[in-house]
Amino acid sequence: MQSHLRQVRNSTDFPRWCDDVMTSTSPVRFVRRSVLKAAVLGSRSATSGWRADSADGADGDGLEPDQPGIGLRYTVLGKILDVSPHILVLETDAGEQRFPLAPTAVAWRGGPVAPAALRHGDHAIVRRLAPDSPVVERIWAEAGRVTGTIIERDGPATLLVDEGPAKGRRIVIIAAGASGRIQVRFPRLEPGYLIDVIGLRHDGFLQALIPATAQPPYHAGHPPTPPLVGGHVPDPISGTAVWHEPGEEPAGLLGLAYPALDPETSCERVAPTPATCSGDLHAVDPHATGPGCVRLPYLSVGSMLRLRNDCAGRGRLLPVTGCGATARLFCDRCVSCGTSRKGRIADLTMAAFVELGGDLEAGCFNAAMTIGG
Amino acid sequence: MTRSVSQSVLIVRELQVPLLAVMLIGGCAGKAWRVIRDRSFAAAFGPAGLFPWRLRHPIMIAMCATEFGLGLALIATTGGPGAGLPATAARAGTAMFFLVAIGTLYEVRQRRPGAGCGCFGDFSDTPIGLRTIGRACLLCVSALAAIGAPPLRMASSFREAAFWVCVLALELTLIAGLSPEVAEIGVRLGYSEPCELRRLPVTRTLTALRGSSQWRRYADRLIADTPTDIWREGCWRFVVFEGVSHGRPVDIVFAVYLQARRPPIRAAILDGATDEVLSPSGIR
Repeated sequence: MQSHLRQVRNSTDFPRWCDDVMTSTSPVRFVRRSVLKAAVLGSRSATSGWRADSADGADGDGLEPDQPGIGLRYTVLGKILDVSPHILVLETDAGEQRFPLAPTAVAWRGGPVAPAALRHGDHAIVRRLAPDSPVVERIWAEAGRVTGTIIERDGPATLLVDEGPAKGRRIVIIAAGASGRIQVRFPRLEPGYLIDVIGLRHDGFLQALIPATAQPPYHAGHPPTPPLVGGHVPDPISGTAVWHEPGEEPAGLLGLAYPALDPETSCERVAPTPATCSGDLHAVDPHATGPGCVRLPYLSVGSMLRLRNDCAGRGRLLPVTGCGATARLFCDRCVSCGTSRKGRIADLTMAAFVELGGDLEAGCFNAAMTIGG
Repeated sequence: MTRSVSQSVLIVRELQVPLLAVMLIGGCAGKAWRVIRDRSFAAAFGPAGLFPWRLRHPIMIAMCATEFGLGLALIATTGGPGAGLPATAARAGTAMFFLVAIGTLYEVRQRRPGAGCGCFGDFSDTPIGLRTIGRACLLCVSALAAIGAPPLRMASSFREAAFWVCVLALELTLIAGLSPEVAEIGVRLGYSEPCELRRLPVTRTLTALRGSSQWRRYADRLIADTPTDIWREGCWRFVVFEGVSHGRPVDIVFAVYLQARRPPIRAAILDGATDEVLSPSGIR
């Protein structure tokens, strides 16, 4: 396992495959794509759908209007400088900021804790009570998540997990107190099987505390084939939205990793590298496993999507910022507010997930996604 | 009358050999095709999924090789030279193979109720049901019936040939009725993938673009043949070229609809510095 530490670092240093915003030499071109699309198809076509015969995507769902240019309205990210029962002081990109805590404010640091129990220096993501309000209602400290294929196991509690070509590999150590809880939902902690756990981020590994889903019974390389789609893909598409750690992305990035980027111009163009260690034999390239559990229209980095959290009733127009092909391997359903109609349709950045009203420790919410907004 | 019935039974027994050979070689070919297409052994595991991961590859390869070997052995021992013990061994081996298959399918059905049988490389993902097990039983009975049958020969009369065809058609219909793959083939033959899910190479998009009137309309303003950006959103693929118009740098963007023949193509010119649209888009 120690021999993999360097490999873990290397593989996360540079995602090899994806036409990714964060690794591109000219990320501006991704931002321009929506402008160019609007110019060539006309603004109505550009924002209302991806099919020539698509009906206009009228909003009409009571959502707050999108405000292009405005980033996070509910969410703040920063390092905790001080915390008391009533005030949270964060070091953010905008400098030191003080946030009054709502009387009902709840904090999470591996589990529910009192806000005052958070530690100086913790990386925190907080949600405001209302848009742009200074009052904070939720705080998550050092929250992390690993989603992917187990490629190596060392002892009962240490796993090397491949998160896919875009994200690299992570070490997961299952906390002693959480072992039973995780093994109930993930009975096969063996190479070749999938894992999705939430926990506390540490330097070089994730301390797994909560199972984010139930383990799919199939091998990671052999997900079920989705049924054929009759006619066009429904618009909007209902399914599960999950979140991922920022990795190489800016922590406050508002966007999502999309499971079905165009194979001709995105992730699937580069051939896989040959196996260099025994763990590589269990690594699964999600692009080689077929369309995945949900049939989604092919899009590209820079495409705009309107995503609505069905549980919180909150929606935003979000750009595709990366490749979320690992989400294809999971055919699970979210049960945060009723059972989602389909599997994973979007892998949100942590900031976007919180902005849309999701709770990080829940791992998912039921979502409706409209391509183009 | 008794002689006629016994002759008919004999003919039916004779016909089982080529039928079994086709089924076995077809099963092996289906698995191999699936592995080649998906570039992954995992695609054709089927019942091998019951075994630990490290044993699945060898078991799948052994199963495929057994099918192919038995199929070849049945064909090789069909005629006069292979008759006798070799033919009996091949047919008994085939019966044993399908007997094992019945037990395996039953076990997979109990332990992995959602799994397909993998009989033709997971061509059908339909979970194993009584039909699939019934097909294995039918083929096992066929193999048992073929033991001791005389070597295959040409039909001696038109009436006999017609009887052969009828028996074959009846048996094939029975097998088709027990095969979930047949329904799957029907669905796939009549299925047209929606454009937003269809994979279409970039080269085809560029070929269609370069043969279009929109391209000819803007070609003289392009300064390079190589696009600066290509991306796709659903049914449209967008291609951007650098150009010059009235002395200022521009971006010429084409939207090509993803259909195989005569795709609609739209175009627009944007100022390279301000992104101002300089000309209205049109449709071919």
